[in-house]
This record gives sequence, structure tokens and C-alpha cells, in this order.
Amino acid sequence: MISGEANSMQFTFSCPLASGLHARPASHLAEVANRFECECTLTNLRNGLVANCKSVLGIIAADVRESDRCAVHVSGTEASVATAAIQRFVEESLSSCDVPLAPLDGSKLSDTLPRALRRAHVSCVFGTPLSRGIGQGKTVILSRIALPRDIGTPTQVDVQVELEKVKGALEAVRERIGEKIKYCITPTGSAVLQAELAMAGDVFLRQKLEDEVRQGASAPRAVTRAAEFFIDLLGRSENEYVRQRGADIEEICLQLIEELCGGLPESTIDLQEPSVLVAETIGPQQLLGIHRRWLKALILEQSATTSHAAILARSLGIPTLVGVRNARQSLMPGDEVLVDANRGFVVPLSPAVKRFYERERETFRRRRQASVERGRDSGIPHRKTIEVGANASSGEEINAAFENQADGIGLFRTEMIFLGRQEPPSEEEQVAIYAEAVHSANGKPVIIRTFDIGGDKKVPYLSLQKEDNPFLGYRGIRIYARHSELLQSQLRAILRASAEGPIQIMAPMVASIEEFREFKVAVSRASQNLSNKEISFRPNIKIGIMIEVPSVAFALDKFCEEVDFFSIGTNDLTQYFFAADRTNSAVSSSFSVRHPAFLRFLQQIVEQIHAAGKWVGMCGAMAAEPCNLPLLLGLGLDELSVPAAEIQELKQKIAALSAEQGRSLLSRALACAEAKEVEELLVPQSVGQPAPLLSEELVLLESTSRTKEEVIQEMVDAFYVHNRTADRDAMEEALWAREAEYSTGLGHAFAIPHCKTDAVTANSICILRLKEPIEWDSIQGERVRVVVLLAMRSSDGANSHMQVFSSLARRLDDEDFREHLLKYETPRQITTYLDQQLGLATPLVSVSTNSSPGRN
Amino acid sequence: MKLVAVTACPTGIAHTYMAAARLEKVAKTFGHEIKVETQGAMGIENKLTENDIRQAQIAIFAVDIEVEGRERFNGVKVIQVPLQEALKNPEGIFSKIQR
Repeated sequence: MISGEANSMQFTFSCPLASGLHARPASHLAEVANRFECECTLTNLRNGLVANCKSVLGIIAADVRESDRCAVHVSGTEASVATAAIQRFVEESLSSCDVPLAPLDGSKLSDTLPRALRRAHVSCVFGTPLSRGIGQGKTVILSRIALPRDIGTPTQVDVQVELEKVKGALEAVRERIGEKIKYCITPTGSAVLQAELAMAGDVFLRQKLEDEVRQGASAPRAVTRAAEFFIDLLGRSENEYVRQRGADIEEICLQLIEELCGGLPESTIDLQEPSVLVAETIGPQQLLGIHRRWLKALILEQSATTSHAAILARSLGIPTLVGVRNARQSLMPGDEVLVDANRGFVVPLSPAVKRFYERERETFRRRRQASVERGRDSGIPHRKTIEVGANASSGEEINAAFENQADGIGLFRTEMIFLGRQEPPSEEEQVAIYAEAVHSANGKPVIIRTFDIGGDKKVPYLSLQKEDNPFLGYRGIRIYARHSELLQSQLRAILRASAEGPIQIMAPMVASIEEFREFKVAVSRASQNLSNKEISFRPNIKIGIMIEVPSVAFALDKFCEEVDFFSIGTNDLTQYFFAADRTNSAVSSSFSVRHPAFLRFLQQIVEQIHAAGKWVGMCGAMAAEPCNLPLLLGLGLDELSVPAAEIQELKQKIAALSAEQGRSLLSRALACAEAKEVEELLVPQSVGQPAPLLSEELVLLESTSRTKEEVIQEMVDAFYVHNRTADRDAMEEALWAREAEYSTGLGHAFAIPHCKTDAVTANSICILRLKEPIEWDSIQGERVRVVVLLAMRSSDGANSHMQVFSSLARRLDDEDFREHLLKYETPRQITTYLDQQLGLATPLVSVSTNSSPGRN
Repeated sequence: MKLVAVTACPTGIAHTYMAAARLEKVAKTFGHEIKVETQGAMGIENKLTENDIRQAQIAIFAVDIEVEGRERFNGVKVIQVPLQEALKNPEGIFSKIQR
């Protein structure tokens, strides 16, 4: 339908596109409109929003959804020709310019949400857990385009100059995108870039930028304001797709800022209340600048797990998820959310979530307590196999480490003290930091690593060149010769702090004995200097090196004559060993620390150092992954140094393992050919001491659970508390899968849920008696008071435990037997009765966790 | 009456054995003589011999999965019920046999 006067025409249409007029169709429509001189507007008749037809952003912001009626109004010169062209486009081409994009991987909606939350229909966003824990707070979205305050508004803005800058930056960005299009080989990629190109040339955007400059903003400030404006505008759309276009406009504004400022500045973050920070990525300085008290969890879109920020988040013990695609679009600022970085998801806080996590906290508390009790009951206090120290890079982290019962500081990274400032830290400043660390350690050893700085970090006072390959470049100990005064001031500061308590010095990135000898000379020089001034310090301070460069491993006999101790830095050692850049996810994942080649290398290193009677620890990420523990015990390392948050769990695991078990596992691992085979050996359940089939802690009397779900959860939690499952969710799923066949109610108020799964670490019988009977099976309306849960490991096959299960199952048919289970008052009475009735008092099943200590 | 039976359930941990116990008990109250083979997580137990099967008038299969060695029962009258039937209403099974 066309109507209109001489040079003003109008037609209406109904949007044929399922996702509405989003970026790509809008960019085509704007392209057609832009061919003509005339004025052209589009009105969404559903919501009354009016857009300039020549602006992609304007069209998107009009929020045109499938079947929305729209009016196009054209006026001015060429109005009739333009109307005809636009109408032809709308009728003939619009419906076909919406090729769906390939779905993003990582936007998976798997079923890893625990059953109780799934049942409560909790929506969630998944990610990869990087640093364990649970954090709760208000969402704060860190926009990449936030500028530091000091760039703000300069006192004098020359409007003409700034307008020129804006114009120039827009052109440069368009040119850059145009280049990318030339080299883009996939049709979808090129379509996305085309839409981006249209957006960068959008009249609405340009107009907004110019308006901001005319109102007194500098060019960069105008970009941030325009970005905020459009992200907000698009964010208000009801269409998910349109909301996500905020990311596109952000991308363009980022490029503009880069163009205008010659780089992307880091912004500062000021939190005021318990917060969950959401960002694409975050710089280490930025992270350290945040008040730890309010930062409850961190969500990063980037998935690099070895970025500095990631490593730092872990060592600070901040619950962190990485690889959360589109997190900044799917989470709304100010929303109260809970981050479960044990399982790997974010959920909005609701009564169901609160209830679930209150229970969860209680379970964790009981698990910790149970572990302490196990340790106490074992009667072998402080069985020394391996020390657990902490990695730290700030006073805060050191405090966190000792709160978590660290045996010492295995690695104090000092480079953070040197980064992010214009002048180097003074000797006095450093003495204060190191002395504070020693005080927190309260007599426990602190290993301070001298600064490890290289070309990947900008340090204004060090004049380091940017390198193509900084990891193989001028870094670590290699820069000390040219920056000897900086090293001297650090060494003097460390020595002075050593007067306060035991400190050891460690050099980073040593590749040759020559370097170490130089380093020793530098330490003597610093000592001499202090002696001359009669400043006190600890004499004969121990000097060690990091083993990060493979060459060291082939000269250990020489090193051992001169070096006091060693610490294996697996992050760099693996990347140099396999020649695989650890920051490049295309290669880093294929080279595992569990590869037999690497394990053989480690074994050789540890054996040689021990043969020389020296001490060797490990401070890389390998030490912090609990699954590696048997291998590390087998290697016979003297210490593991890990982030504060990992210490307690690691200590628990160490208590449950013997060095003998570790050695036998390591020897099998060394015989493997592939990393995969080693990983199969390490399935966590395959090691550990046998737990008895039945024990008092698995008899839960007086339960107040109200539903079948709660009962099963309570029983699974008991398994977790007493170390009989590491994967509660999998165990729960296995039980429910069995329930789905048919209800396990037996009649007579008894039920017998069961599962066969390796999610349990020991075959177990768990008994729960309810205060009030509950409904077990809604179809039969059966009520239950006693629940007997049988859990069996699927890889164990037929064994004598199975015999016990089958006789227990048979006995449940016996009324007298059931009566006993109903009447006994204490767990002890019940276990004693079952022992008698089922013949459990045989050696096989009465082996207790407490009676078989490791042999050393 | 002389009877034989097989019980089997998917996990083979609990119900296979409970059903066997139930059938043995209830058979007695009906005055039958019964031998029950269990096919569970421990494999086949209390295995029915050729002789057992030949002498039986009826074989009861209380199973949720395929019976192992089904061919052994060729030529015997078989009553097959879901395993749950043996737990919830074993009397029903035996009354059916009586008729």
C-alpha cells in the first residue's frame, strides 16, 4: 500500500523475520536507504518507536519483532524512486537476508545443575570453574570501555579538533573492518563483519558522537558516552538478539578508543557492597586494586585458565568461573546472584537457591569437621609425607595462606610490588612488605622469589622492549645484570627482613650455572653492604632456584653443589619442555603435566636432587590439582606450594594416601605411553583406603527431611561428608535413574534406593530413619520411615560386598528384622545388629579407615 | 506343586534378591516347593539344574530384563511377570497358578 503527496510517501509492511529486524537485515535496509538523498523514517506501529531508516542502530533500537507492522515514511528529493526501491527490498529480499548464525559452542545448557535446583526451575549460566568456592553478591559488570577517571574531561576541549578526531577514528575503524572482510573466509564471519561495518558508519552513531563533542566531551569521552547510550538503548529491548548487539557496539567503541588513545587503558573498580564482578577479562593490577572484602566472586568471559588474572584470582581464593560466553549480556547489573564455582554455574538468588546453599554450607562444615576427626582418630598425628606451602603475591594472600594452615610460603612472587607504578619501590617499602610476610608466617619458612619481569609487562622504569616472544626472551634472572641496582635494593630488603624470621631467597628462570653464580655474587654483595653499615640480617641465608628451564635438569649434579634448594615451576617447565605456549589454547591443552614423558622428566629431577641430599618442592599449577597428588607423593617431593584456597583440601587428601600408594601409582604411570592412560590411572576413586561397608556415621536417625528429594540429598551429603563420594551430583543422578525404573518402596514403611556407580568411592550401606514418615512414591501413595540405601562401585564387579547387599535385601522381607531397624535408638545398636545378622564381622568388611595407616 | 523361578532386575543389587526371598516365603504358605535362581550383580546364583527344571510343573520369571539361558526352559510352562509383581503381590502369582 502506497500513499502520499508529491514528495512525501509512505508504505507499511509486516516484519517477516523470526528474530525481527536485527543487525544484519537492518544493515541491508539502511544500505538501500542510504543510496538516496531523501529523509526516510521507519515507525514500529506496535510500540510507536521511530527510527531513521539510514541508521542500523536506529532500526535495531525500534525493536521490530516478527509480524510487527511498520510504516516507512519517505520525503524530500527522489522520494518516489527511493520508496519504490525500499519497498522492493522489503518485499523481495528482506525475508531472505536472515541466514541463521551457527550456534556458539559453550552456550550449552547441560544438566549439571543439581537436581534440587533443576526441580525449582532455576535458570542459570554455565562456566568453567577456575578457583573453587561459592560467592554471593550483586552483579557488577565491568565494561571494557570504562575509562580511568583521570582521562575524564580535559579542561579545554577544542570542538573542531575533537570532531576531526572522531571523524578520523570512524574512518580508520571502518577501514580496519574492511580489511578484515577481505581476509575473512567464512560467509557467516563476513556477514557479521558487514553488519559491524554498517554500524561503524551508522549516522545515528556519528550524530551521537558529534553531539557529545559539541556538549564539551573529548573524543574518547564522547565514545564512552555514546557506547553507554547505545548499550542501554539496545539493552532495553525485549529481544535477546537485539540486547546482545550491545556487544557489537561495544566492540566498535573499543576500536574507536584504541584508535583515539593508542591503546586500551585499564579502568579502576570501586566496589561498595558484596559483589560479583563480571568482565571479559581483567588485568592483574585491576584485580589487586579491588577491595577484597567486597569481591565475592569473579565471572570472566575469556576462557584462558593460565592468564595472570586467572592465576591471581586462584591464589587470592576468589571463587571464579571462566569461559562464560556473553556473561555481560546475560547477567543484569545489580541482580543478586550466587556463583557456584565448585560445580560451575551462576544462578539468580531465589528462596530455593538460598535453601539449597544453606544446606550446602552445613554439609561443607560437617565435612571439614569429619575430616578433622578422622585425622585425630588416626592416632598418627602429623604423619609427615609432604609439606603444603602457599603461593602468594601480596600480604593479603599470605594472611589467607596461614588462615588455611599453610606450612609455609613456598613461593612469594614479588613482581607485583614492581608493576603498575612509575618509580621502582624503595628499599624501605620492600623491607616493610617482606617483614610483614615473615611476621604473618610466625616462624614458618617464607621463600621469596626475586622479581620475574619480562617484555610482556610494561614497567616504565625498566625500559624493556616489547618482544615477539617474551616467554623465550629477556626476562627473569636474565635482566638482573642490566638492572643490578634494582636487584641489590630488593636483595638488601629481603636480607633485612630476614632478621625478623626465616626467609629463603629464590631466583626465577635460571637456565645455566653461570647465571646462578652471578646471582650468588649479587647476594654476597648485598650482605657485604649491610655488614658494612652494621645492619643486622640472618647469616647464611639459603639460596635456591626455580626449575623452569629444562637445561637445569641436565646439570643438576653441578647445581646441587651450589644451590641450597629447588622449586619446580611446572607452568613454565611444561611449556618449555613441550615447546607449547601455555597462553595459546590451541596448543596448551594437548600437553599435559600428566604426560608420561613429563613425569619421567620430573622423576629424574627429584631423584638427582634427593641423591645429593637437597630439598625440592613444586610451586606450579600441577601441585594444586588434587588428581595429581598420588603422582606427586610418588615422586617424593618435599613440599607442594599451592594457592591458599587449595591447602585444606590438599592436606585432607594427603592424610588419606600413603607414599607407598603414590609410588606404586607413579611406577605404573611412568610405564604408560599416553597422557590419557595416566589420567585413567588417576581416577580419584582408584586410590585411597578401603572404607567399611557400614559404619555408624552412615546411620542417620531422627531425620527431619520432608520429601523423597530431601531424603536422597541428605543421604548423598552423608556420603560426601564422610569421604565416600567426590561427585555428589553424579551419585544423586544414579540413584534417581534407578528410581525412574520404578519406585524402590518396599511396603511396610521401608524403601531401598540403590545405585551402581563409580561416583562413590567405597561400597556402602547407609540407613536413614525419619521422625515423620514421608511419601515415597506418589503413584502408590506409599509412606516410608526407614530408608536403606545401597551404593556399589560399578567397576568393582562381583565381590563379597555384593553378598552382603543381597542378604540384606533378603532380610528386609523379614518382619522381625525390620522391627529391629525401627526400634533401635542409637546408630551403634543398629550397626552392631547388622554386623551380627549379615555377618559383617569378617575382616573384609570390618577394616576401618583408622586401622590401616600408611607404612611410612 | 514343584516350581522353579528366576528373578532379575536392572541393577541387580536389591530387588532381585528381595523378590527371591518373597517368592520362597510365599510359596511355602501355598504348600509349594520352590527353587529360585537369582540373576543379579553377582551373576547367576542358586542355578537351576536341568533336573530342577525337568521336575518343575511351572517356571515363574519375575524379571525386568532378559532371562539368561532362557532356552533351558523350553518345554516348561512359563509365567512371566514384572519383578515388582513378586514383591507387591506374590500371592496373586500363586493363586493364578492354582487355577
